[in-house]
Amino acid sequence: MNAFDGMITGFQVALSWEGILFVLIGVIVGTLIGMMPGLGPISAIAIMIPITYGMDPAPALVMMAGVYYGAVFGGSTSSILLNAPGISGTVATAFDGYPMAQQGKAGKALAIAAIASFFGGTVSVIMLMLLAPALSSVAISFGPPAYFALMLMGLTAISSLSEGSTIKAMIAAVAGVMVVTIGIDPQTGTQRFTFGNVNLFDGFDFLIIALGLFAIAEVCMLVLNRKNRSLSDDQKLGSLKVTRADLKEMSGPMTRQSFVGFILGVLPGAGATIASFISYIFEKRISKNPEEFGKGSIKGLAAPESSNNAATSGAFVPLLSLGIPGSGTTAVMLGAFLVLGVQPGPLLMTDRPEIFWGIIASMYLGNIFLLILNLPLIPYLAKILSIPRPLLISLVIMFSLIGVYSISFNVFDLYMLLVFGALGFAMRVFSFPAPPFILAFILGGMMEQAFRQSMTISNGNLAIFVNSPLPLSLILIALLSLVIPGLLKWRSRRKLANM
Amino acid sequence: MPLTINRRIALILFVIAAIYLFLSFQLPNYPYAPVDADVIPKGLGILMIILSIALFFSKAIETEAEKEKRNIPKKELLVLLAVFAMIFLYILLFEIIGFVIMTAIFIFFCSWFLGYTKWKSNIIVSILFPLGMYVIFVFALGISLPKGILPI
Repeated sequence: MNAFDGMITGFQVALSWEGILFVLIGVIVGTLIGMMPGLGPISAIAIMIPITYGMDPAPALVMMAGVYYGAVFGGSTSSILLNAPGISGTVATAFDGYPMAQQGKAGKALAIAAIASFFGGTVSVIMLMLLAPALSSVAISFGPPAYFALMLMGLTAISSLSEGSTIKAMIAAVAGVMVVTIGIDPQTGTQRFTFGNVNLFDGFDFLIIALGLFAIAEVCMLVLNRKNRSLSDDQKLGSLKVTRADLKEMSGPMTRQSFVGFILGVLPGAGATIASFISYIFEKRISKNPEEFGKGSIKGLAAPESSNNAATSGAFVPLLSLGIPGSGTTAVMLGAFLVLGVQPGPLLMTDRPEIFWGIIASMYLGNIFLLILNLPLIPYLAKILSIPRPLLISLVIMFSLIGVYSISFNVFDLYMLLVFGALGFAMRVFSFPAPPFILAFILGGMMEQAFRQSMTISNGNLAIFVNSPLPLSLILIALLSLVIPGLLKWRSRRKLANM
Repeated sequence: MPLTINRRIALILFVIAAIYLFLSFQLPNYPYAPVDADVIPKGLGILMIILSIALFFSKAIETEAEKEKRNIPKKELLVLLAVFAMIFLYILLFEIIGFVIMTAIFIFFCSWFLGYTKWKSNIIVSILFPLGMYVIFVFALGISLPKGILPI
């Protein structure tokens, strides 16, 4: 099936009444949760997963994808209006978006953000449509050693690219794999670390980890910041109008940063947050008047907004065609696939074309919906920011509890949700990044399996990972990505000492 | 060598890793697998021990932003603890009392406790939210939630 036939299949799914309805639900929910400062896309996806139980996989996944890119789209609103980023991918949006809002041009800033997001999202979907099938057909020949090396590279990349200490990020990743070893080993039937507790035999469901480490931990942070201002009723947004001159000014950064964002989204470890920062710095460097940046520059607003949305669609490339998520958020997306019994990977395109192409096609539609939601309707949507924090906290707690209960109807899992919530909070307080943990938790089981399959093929010889070029080069990249940042730090410290 | 917060965390992680590693060595053998169930855990345990030592001796100094994050007033911690206690009570009781009643009570008291003063809207949300969720989950999604003492 070529891309053209594929897209016809995809649009049949996306443009069916079910497809349209669930794309719309997905992007609305995503936008609303993404707007809430403190609640990120991981919480948004995790909260919505229980709704998909028993649904048809294609519309369900179209909806979940909509929640994800909708959250990134919506995150900009609170960055601009409140200077409180809705999600970490829109931190850079506030640099110029908030100054614009303070100058009374909030409406214009929101409109520019929406146009840039739409542009970045759409350009990126076109590239996703072209790249994902190509990568799928290459990846179909990958053996277990290559898969193991790919996943290892994903984990080291996210560790070295995480904010703060690389050691702490690696600790988070190793802890994530440790948690996944709890339960009955699927290959030998050995009970590992269960202490004979029946509730632990199947291990922890990923939803407990995702909701605990993100939703509940984010709620804890909200409790601490509950007195931060929410949107006051009388805040004026101003005109939403964008002039032709504005469009001309933003067209350059928008086009360049859509590509930058897409590439960073495809690569493991980076994702929307890093893409938006790199794009912002990129545009500031090449700008003729860099002093305008940070004071309400249109370029400085358009660059991170097109970049973060492009990165979001870009992240679907490795997820759909390799079945390997490259970030914490796509790790939870992978969980959403598995809950519905769909295994993404090189076979997805041929085995379940309606899902593979349906998701891609639905993204065109979703971006159009988001543009409509975020342009004319934004003054009404922004009202959600005035929801009182205490009420928001109680409701998110309830959503998380219902979500976990509906997986297993087991009260033990609810207590575990509390435990992982406390762990996630402690990790935030002591500056341990949580995304490497969730990615490691999702990849851990797959990695162990790939490792053992490789060992079975090679009769226990570790050389299988270095004998063929692909696994060898991936493992080398993985090691270098951990060593290079450390070396750079060491060199700059020596330079300082010599000065 | 002062015992900074990172060093204390490193010590705790070291102890956890050591226990994990000890338990990995207790795992029973299964003779027919080329890689037995204990290989990966042993590797992880050793890796964690190395990382905790690296964290202990790491020269990285805590940034101001990191210090700020850690600086939580005692009173706020107590508030957080109280919220956790409320969730705990909810989990303890909701299968017995029922989803709708316990959820209504939880939302009302948790919001009120955290400083939501608008009584009327609080009551309306605390009643409508659980009813709405109950209808969606039980009738639309076919996922049964405990009805408890209510006859519905």
